[in-house]
Amino acid sequence: MAFKAVNLFRAMGRTSAWPVVAASRSTDRSMPVLARTLATEAPEAPQEETRPTVRKFDPIQRSNLMDYGQYVAECLPKFVQKVQLTAGDELEVLIAPEGVLTVMTFLKNHHNAQFTNLVDIAGVDMPTREFRFEVVYNFLSLRFNSRIRVKTYTDEMTPIESICSIFPAANWYEREVFDMFGVFFVNHPDLRRILTDYGFEGHPLRKDFPLSGYLECRYDDELARVVYEPVELAQEYRKFDLAAPWEQFPNFRESVPAVEDVPLEKGEPEKTK
Amino acid sequence: MATWKAAGDAAKSAIKLSTNLTKLEVNRNPHHVLGSLYTKTLRALAKMPQDYAYRKHTEAILNDRVSQLKATTDLQLLEKNINCGQIEEVVIQAQYELRLARHLLEVKSWEGLIEEAKPNQWKWPM
Repeated sequence: MAFKAVNLFRAMGRTSAWPVVAASRSTDRSMPVLARTLATEAPEAPQEETRPTVRKFDPIQRSNLMDYGQYVAECLPKFVQKVQLTAGDELEVLIAPEGVLTVMTFLKNHHNAQFTNLVDIAGVDMPTREFRFEVVYNFLSLRFNSRIRVKTYTDEMTPIESICSIFPAANWYEREVFDMFGVFFVNHPDLRRILTDYGFEGHPLRKDFPLSGYLECRYDDELARVVYEPVELAQEYRKFDLAAPWEQFPNFRESVPAVEDVPLEKGEPEKTK
Repeated sequence: MATWKAAGDAAKSAIKLSTNLTKLEVNRNPHHVLGSLYTKTLRALAKMPQDYAYRKHTEAILNDRVSQLKATTDLQLLEKNINCGQIEEVVIQAQYELRLARHLLEVKSWEGLIEEAKPNQWKWPM
């Protein structure tokens, strides 16, 4: 019975251009998944997107992603703070920074995850937040042909656990984030700058990094060598107002919500600190 | 020519010569290896709380796999039933799962949320 349901799930799972080469995740959740997709198909039909310029989403894929987000959250209740869909069909898991190693281990090693490819690590700087940096990990599961994004946060002083022990690919990505944002990764085998010049000062992708940098280098004829000097600009500051006074594409402003929350079952019995 | 013929004969007698995957060698006794890995993982899972979702889902998967292992000795049929690639890949997945189960046991991942996010931490657009 369960096996039959799994097969059905697989047949319905993907309607994208890719052939279904990957296996489906075989959990006992596949039954509710199936029920949910069957139940939601009918009411969603009239709202189908007809505008030719707006991207269309597969409702089955969306509900599968939501279910999978809930699955991750209930498997790791200690670390997952929030699960959301962004840009319509991208699954994001937002975690506490203490759980980086555990969540990555889960995503790589669990039978129903197998996100064995680390695609990229990125940083985001939001200076108004208490923890100003976001660190974003993108994963790909070749087995299930699916992607997931994990986000966590930190500030200038708090180090984040390096995931080099799980994904060797993280080595250079973490160096890049360290170089661009100044986020520290503990237990990284070789945390050096990777993109900027020797003797570079500052972290260029921070919002408070000046556009001209702190140092300029030039060749000095008298000294017969390259010298580094603090930047001196004749014009200190100028306000550029580049925004157009009208909105270019008002029709499509609300076509896709930026973020959709995936509801989680909260209030576990063992709520211990 | 002779080696090709030998390879062809070997294929007919269903002995796998290569997985065609880099650094992945043919496993000669996958039933035994998988069985012991699944047993170890189930033993680690048994130490977790009864109602922990990860334990329930993983036990369901592993018990299913164990019954499939017992059901047949034919490797091709087994690979088709499991449907997660070649049996050597399934062995790697089983090793990963064992590592994960022991890690989760160590960090006690079934406990309540370790730290709530700050109110505006995940607010987007700002």
